[in-house]
Amino acid sequence: MALIKTQTDEPMTEDEHEETRDCKGLMARLSAADPNTRRWAARDLMDCPQASALLAERLSQEDDISVREVILTTLTSLGDDQAVAGLVACLRSEEPALRNAAIEAMQRLPDKVAPIMRALLTDPDSDVRIFAVSILQSLCHPEVETWLLEVIDQDSHLNVCGVAVDLLSEVGTEAARASLLRLQARFADEPYIRFATDLALGRLREA
Amino acid sequence: MKRILIIDDAATVRLYHREILETGSFVVEEAMNGVEALEKALQSSFDLYLVDINMPKLDGYGFLRELRSRDLPQAPAIMISTEAQAFDEQRAYAAGANLYLIKPVKPDQLLAQVRVLLGELTP
Repeated sequence: MALIKTQTDEPMTEDEHEETRDCKGLMARLSAADPNTRRWAARDLMDCPQASALLAERLSQEDDISVREVILTTLTSLGDDQAVAGLVACLRSEEPALRNAAIEAMQRLPDKVAPIMRALLTDPDSDVRIFAVSILQSLCHPEVETWLLEVIDQDSHLNVCGVAVDLLSEVGTEAARASLLRLQARFADEPYIRFATDLALGRLREA
Repeated sequence: MKRILIIDDAATVRLYHREILETGSFVVEEAMNGVEALEKALQSSFDLYLVDINMPKLDGYGFLRELRSRDLPQAPAIMISTEAQAFDEQRAYAAGANLYLIKPVKPDQLLAQVRVLLGELTP
């Protein structure tokens, strides 16, 4: 059952692929009217590091899901500072699909994302902080637990702490116990925090 | 007994809502994202959907739009999110939600709202 179209593998015509394939030409084709042309340009820009900023800019404007996916793949492959900055900008998008795609892309760039993680986790916008915690969910990095503990010790927003506890239930170690107890005390009147911290503490006991 | 499908990618949130709803004698099933939820909705009928917004593969808005566009028995849906902006609420109703709640929801509040939507309680 094909519920949602998430990827397109339509073959490119010979004419399309024979046109100018240099970086400048490819970057120009990111604005083409035809989604197929934009998709292939985005894919071929994988060898053009100077395209990161433009790709990141296009990401927020692109309304074709398949083109957007290729842009994300290319940005992840390029993985430079501008690419990461473009992905961070997507966290502020009002479109959940784009935010989720950016989160998944950033999870694949642990070494690039790690240096900006604390900034994201203390962003003034609580939604961005929540998405930053979501990045940690599949971020393969040794500091993940430390970052989560900083969140539940310092963040005043209930839902930011809530998502951090949810993740600590999965990845937390004995080192999390004191912070979880402090959080529970800090939000003593919140049933969800009580529930989530009890669950996380229970899992620590089982571990 | 009335059947409710909880759709959320956060395991702790699913468990929290499950325990509340089971206290109210509802039968609960879970899905981790919109795609899985749509598959379950196509396979069996539910009396109510409890839908998160931010989920991988297919978000809550997308799930509701798909659900509402299909020739299926339609059940009320509560969209529940961490996002408290009016824009999100308007978008939820446009996608087909019957109610928009901000996380975290207190147990009594959730049970009461579910019962109202199911016609078991007068608002």
